[in-house]
Amino acid sequence: MSLNVINNATCTFCGCVCDDIQLHFDETRIHEAKKACVLGKAWFLNHTADHEYPDALIDGHEATVDEAIEAAATFLHDAHMPLIYGLSNTTCEAQREAVSLADRLGGLLDSHTSL
Amino acid sequence: MYWGGNPAECHPRHFTKYTLMQKSKFLPRGRKDRTMILVDIRETKSGGAADIFLQIRPGKDFEVLTILRAILKGQHVNESAIAETGLTLEQLTDFIDRAKKAKFGCMFFGMGLSMTRGKHMNSAALLTLAAELNAFTKFVAMPMRGHGNVTGADVIMRWQTGFPFGITFNRGYPRYNPGEFSTVDVLVRGDTDAALILGADPGATMPQPAIDHLARIPTIVLDPKVTHTSRLARVHITTSVAGISAPGTAYRMDEIPLPLKPALKSPYPTDQEVVRRINEAVARKSHWIPDGGPMTILQR
Repeated sequence: MSLNVINNATCTFCGCVCDDIQLHFDETRIHEAKKACVLGKAWFLNHTADHEYPDALIDGHEATVDEAIEAAATFLHDAHMPLIYGLSNTTCEAQREAVSLADRLGGLLDSHTSL
Repeated sequence: MYWGGNPAECHPRHFTKYTLMQKSKFLPRGRKDRTMILVDIRETKSGGAADIFLQIRPGKDFEVLTILRAILKGQHVNESAIAETGLTLEQLTDFIDRAKKAKFGCMFFGMGLSMTRGKHMNSAALLTLAAELNAFTKFVAMPMRGHGNVTGADVIMRWQTGFPFGITFNRGYPRYNPGEFSTVDVLVRGDTDAALILGADPGATMPQPAIDHLARIPTIVLDPKVTHTSRLARVHITTSVAGISAPGTAYRMDEIPLPLKPALKSPYPTDQEVVRRINEAVARKSHWIPDGGPMTILQR
């Protein structure tokens, strides 16, 4: 079995964000993460491309992403003081969208830094 | 210098890749050209890498830092005050002597400093010590960031709003006040009446009263897995994993932005796409301030 290889991949498990990882992977999972530490290896090898979880849940029931997005927008719009929190295990591009959403909602915006 | 952190176990490559082992133009002998001081309340695995280990009494970080600042300024320090810290005057003076003689010092501080008695006052004291050492030599300080791109969150919020965290837009412009607008405080007081959580699992990490409030209000979770928080949320949307199946940018803890190189294709949308679509769906509804924006209200 031949695996695809990415050189100098970036690990986002911890704040070190090591960018010299060599990933060996096939369609569904990463088989090897060279140069990564124990934490990084566990991070890369534990995720798969499988459809393990439902696309979306509303009140515990499976729903489509479209329905869930509409429900989320309604909850946030109806609130007097909505909160957007977290923003750590995600990309800067998503963080930027989250800031824009908090601005539009007139809500609270916060990250792990305040913990 | 590391204060209240255990990089050997929490950031395993910190020593080898960044701080201790690397050879450079001005430090050609790598580790031999550097001195590492570890300050903690107990000896951890990181102690093995340290030249000097200073074991302080639990909860005395602020006192130690304040005494160090006094010694730096040549002020007299009360013996009983030193005895309380668990260190001796010799150890503290040696610390300051070494710091002043260093060509370039860097202080890394962990949650052992920022999350124990004194909290942000401890961090402030350490940052002040680092600032004051600059009267003698080059010194910087940096928090040891835990989660992948939490530095990116600081940078993006600073860029977009002028503040790094603990922000509210409830007057139509950003305001900053940790303690008032920081999440744990907001949740424990029960101030917020809806929450969108992404890239975090407060259901596993926050104090129970905060989690209880998240369960009372409509909570929306975006996460690659169904998390503790998802289970108490009204809405969960599964998203792809940053750096594994989602492309983008992440900031290293020293604020260097790095591109992500995802290896896998995810069946789920990215956080970016979902948040953008929620934003668009909210935009289709009426604005939270009546027609004309905040100025209209002020003029009425």
